[in-house]
Amino acid sequence: MQSTPKIILRPWNTATVILRITIISLIVITGYAFTTFNTRGVDFWAGVDMLGSNFQALLLSPQLKNITVAVMVHDLFITIGLGFLTTIFGAAIALGFALLAAQNLSPRWLTVIIKGITAFVRAVPTVLWVLIFAVSAGLGSVAAVLGMTFHSAGYLIKAYSESFEEIDHGTIEALKASGANWWQIVFQAVLPSSATALLSWTFLRFEINFSTAIAMGAAAGAGGIGYDMFMASGYYLNLHEMGAFTYAVLAFAIVLEAGATRYKASLRK
Amino acid sequence: MPLLKIEQLSKRYGTDKYALDTIDFTVDTGEFVAIIGPSGAGKSTLLRCINHMIPMTNGDVWFNDTSTKALSAHKLRTHRTQIGMIFQHYNLVNRLSVIENVLHGRLGYKSTVAGVMGWYSDAEKAQAVEILQNLGLSEQMYKRCDQLSGGQKQRVGIARALIQNPKLLLCDEPIASLDPSAAKIIMDTLKDINQRLGITIIVNLHQVDVAMRYAQRIIGINSGKIICDAPPHTLNPSIIHEVYGSEAGELILDFGEQNAQA
Repeated sequence: MQSTPKIILRPWNTATVILRITIISLIVITGYAFTTFNTRGVDFWAGVDMLGSNFQALLLSPQLKNITVAVMVHDLFITIGLGFLTTIFGAAIALGFALLAAQNLSPRWLTVIIKGITAFVRAVPTVLWVLIFAVSAGLGSVAAVLGMTFHSAGYLIKAYSESFEEIDHGTIEALKASGANWWQIVFQAVLPSSATALLSWTFLRFEINFSTAIAMGAAAGAGGIGYDMFMASGYYLNLHEMGAFTYAVLAFAIVLEAGATRYKASLRK
Repeated sequence: MPLLKIEQLSKRYGTDKYALDTIDFTVDTGEFVAIIGPSGAGKSTLLRCINHMIPMTNGDVWFNDTSTKALSAHKLRTHRTQIGMIFQHYNLVNRLSVIENVLHGRLGYKSTVAGVMGWYSDAEKAQAVEILQNLGLSEQMYKRCDQLSGGQKQRVGIARALIQNPKLLLCDEPIASLDPSAAKIIMDTLKDINQRLGITIIVNLHQVDVAMRYAQRIIGINSGKIICDAPPHTLNPSIIHEVYGSEAGELILDFGEQNAQA
């Protein structure tokens, strides 16, 4: 009986070779790292045990000590306010520039310039922008608002302009053919057609800005619940209080998510 | 005096071959003209050169006894308000209601602010309602356009063109995405508009039999050149084959039926 040649399912090519080399090197590096950690004499299992008890203190027995509930809620709203304000500022700036950055609405040279600049703005992390603005504004809420607005605008210009580019070219053509001018086309066809997409992006950016606002409270002294967390962890070393703040943040995140989902569903109808 | 005079019109995309090659013809007020030809022959380009959606390379388009070769932005808007256009894919704003889409046809007459805000006069709204009534869409007035059938969408497209009070209606494959009964309703509507309102109609068609039945005049185009320009009853299969660059027996043509009706 004649033997048939073996059928190869995945022929060797450059892509599979590179993928396999990458996976194998990652495994080797991970193994090497784990065997050569500098543990400073701490036993691994004792460490795991301590981590467990820390999480217990954090999550199972939250308790405020240095500030009242009213202050905590007030500070939470400061953080929400920081996230909200920077999202609104960023969205307002982005809406204008996104129209100029969309290829179906603006001349090509202009879209290239604006997209290039926004790519640069986005490439620098938010925290770095805040620190850059802190040079002139000083560390604090002003630098945080400026820096976060800057990065939000860069992010939303890209997101909005891509939403504009996705709308049906035909509707623009139809209004143009009836003699409508650029502004009329934007407000009568482009914005109504892309409204849900714009809102989704704005909500997503608000979520990002809320978590950034917490970090900015601690890192840039912008105040709010982030600063309380910084004090509880670094100054009072109080894990129970940290737990209370964590739950407050979590509660708002859930409310935000539920609200956004509902709002988007009602728009899509 | 013809309504539309196309003079030595040429269009070239980049350095490709000419999409339109020295086209010459005139259209009188009240005519119903069908343009036929294979895909890529230049039918759509020709329509879009008439209202300057595509800039022409050479030649001129005379409309209403005025040259449209070098129009200022303002004059171009005025020129376009005189010419309604309907499309294969309807090109409505799906998220807006039927009446809002119809009123979009008025934008060319409005100031920027009024157009942006969607401020329409009572007369304009009344006209929109009347047009929708005539096209049998009264009940759909407040429906969103994405809830309509293809035939209904195309009627909204026609309503949007009519509210411009156009002298000329350009139709780019208006029935190519419709089933036969919806297609018949649209073609009958166009015929009615042509006869009752006296609006001149130029329609691009893929269906030779439809062109034969509805148009007073058929212009055949191939590779950017006019192959024939004649009333339907003078056309015969060999001319049609010349337009499509095909051999006898390669096209679905039914001249028997057409002649029987003519």
